[in-house]
Amino acid sequence: MTGTGLELRELRKTYRSRGRPSVDAVRGIDLTLRSGELLGLLGPSGCGKSTTLRMIAGLESVTGGDILVGGASVVERPAQQRNIGVAFENYALYPPLSVAENLAFGLKARRGAARGSSGDIERKVKDIAERVGLTDLLDARPAGLSSGQKQRVSLARALIREPDVLLLDEPLSHLDAAQRDTTRRELKRIQKDLGHTTILVTHDQEEALSLADRIAVMKDGVIQQLGTPYEIYDSPANVFVADFVGEPAITLLPGIADGDGHARLSDAVRIALPVPVERGREVVVGIRPEDVRLTAEGGLPARVVAHEPLLESGLATLALDGVERHLVVLTDPEVRLAHDDRVRVAADPEHTHVFDAETGDSLR
Amino acid sequence: MRKHLVGWLCDAALVLYFLFALFPIAWMVILSLKPADQLFSTYFSFSPTLDGYRTVLGDSEGIPFVRFFVNSLVVSVGAVVLSLVVGLPAAYASARWRFKGSENLMFTLLSFRFAPELTVIIPLFVLYQKLGLFDTYVGMVWVLQLVTLPLIVWIMRSYFADLTPELEQAALLDGYTRKQAFFKVALPLVKPGIAAVSLLAFIFAWNNFVFPLILTSNEAQTVTVGALSFLGGDRPKYNLTAAAALVSVVPPLLLALTIQRYLVRGLSFGAVKS
Repeated sequence: MTGTGLELRELRKTYRSRGRPSVDAVRGIDLTLRSGELLGLLGPSGCGKSTTLRMIAGLESVTGGDILVGGASVVERPAQQRNIGVAFENYALYPPLSVAENLAFGLKARRGAARGSSGDIERKVKDIAERVGLTDLLDARPAGLSSGQKQRVSLARALIREPDVLLLDEPLSHLDAAQRDTTRRELKRIQKDLGHTTILVTHDQEEALSLADRIAVMKDGVIQQLGTPYEIYDSPANVFVADFVGEPAITLLPGIADGDGHARLSDAVRIALPVPVERGREVVVGIRPEDVRLTAEGGLPARVVAHEPLLESGLATLALDGVERHLVVLTDPEVRLAHDDRVRVAADPEHTHVFDAETGDSLR
Repeated sequence: MRKHLVGWLCDAALVLYFLFALFPIAWMVILSLKPADQLFSTYFSFSPTLDGYRTVLGDSEGIPFVRFFVNSLVVSVGAVVLSLVVGLPAAYASARWRFKGSENLMFTLLSFRFAPELTVIIPLFVLYQKLGLFDTYVGMVWVLQLVTLPLIVWIMRSYFADLTPELEQAALLDGYTRKQAFFKVALPLVKPGIAAVSLLAFIFAWNNFVFPLILTSNEAQTVTVGALSFLGGDRPKYNLTAAAALVSVVPPLLLALTIQRYLVRGLSFGAVKS
């Protein structure tokens, strides 16, 4: 374990430019990472996740709040003195240098004793190359590498200095699907192996869900929810989190609570809620496609709008009677549906989510 | 077949253009080889002689052409070097940071390129007389900054802007200082650009006519003005002027040929992104 804990306290960033309204990119973030933990910072573009990462690295000035690495504030220190490793989204490999030279480049900045002998550097390069699986590529130039290989060089470059904290900026976004799967597994293995405290910034929920110990979902510079992947998925804190996490996306249906444990979605459709909500309150009911099933009797009446057979399962788009928004349902592979077929669907209230229509917060 | 014809026509048009463009140079070559007494002959038969070149390079006729040549070299190289030293950091800074008035500053710099030199030449002449910069190397190198500096700053700025800042940021995180990030990371990557822009700036400085015409008299005079000295006196010696002009084409030409491979890479930079 080489990692050290990381703590963000009330971290804020406001961009000010003359003649334009100032922009609050990050509005007071509190986060604590245990040593060796991998935290996924998940959010849509423009949510402030990259700004947060750049502030931790020291590449962006901090408007307010504090950043602690191993218990010591680093806010006043320039990037050079923070010992934080970053694997950049575009890899930032130095084109004229070979892979080995790229890796050594990061070690040569230090002066005096900390720099170590050239033999030392060579040994470290070999060592990290072995761990990341680059031994055969040490003499190659970045231009000749695949995206996955570039990503591994970039990661090795961040790791070779033995940073206190590792920051990964969209590490898989430029890889094709096959490379993404293998690199993701590699990344997880390497991170667990070396035990660095890591923040992974991504807009891709799959990446965050599969890699992270905990996930912080961000929107508009605020953390919406912090929790394990299961917590985020099973009990989303608000409409945004519910909508952002989950593929295919959750169906959100507006309705009015009728006080007896149901919400009225239309004159014909009432749906059971997981928790009692007082009569007359406007709510949004969230149902994940995998939590609804077609049923022979009971349930809610609906008409098939479309059915996409996806081989290992199917995806049906249904119109509940009198409800404007369509409900998406995951179906078994053998199910065959045609446009305008009449069906009945049942949703398990245990897995139904209910949010306040006005604030968007979960009522569970 | 049709494509063939179009290609053939293009070639023919190119040849025609070459003939048109190269005619003045060919004319000068012929003129420079003519003996003095056949200068005004209108037919093409004459007895070619290198006397013109001998006279020009031999400093006879009381005109120190070799010194003008050396002056041109010193002044142009000096101007380019100074512009690089001052302009590269300026270009980098303006590409990486927006600061108060940065755009105005850059525009002011650019305006030196499109403002006619003649508008400032009279006050400059007076200033140079008073400051003792008239007819000196320092004075010429300084005034040529009006020509070379905007060129270098503006072209290099776009080179630096094309470099992804993450390269330098990665270096910063590795513990390099800002200065090292500039010298060790950014600068080596724009070498082809530096070669290309240096050549351009050198040619502009070398070809400049107005500044040496007004701001030098003898000591620091350059070939552009010096070549005209052969037209003075009792009888204009066109053959000597032609020879002098052709000799003065040599340095830019040699330079262009030696750094040609950088030039192609340099001028196409940014067009092809990896």
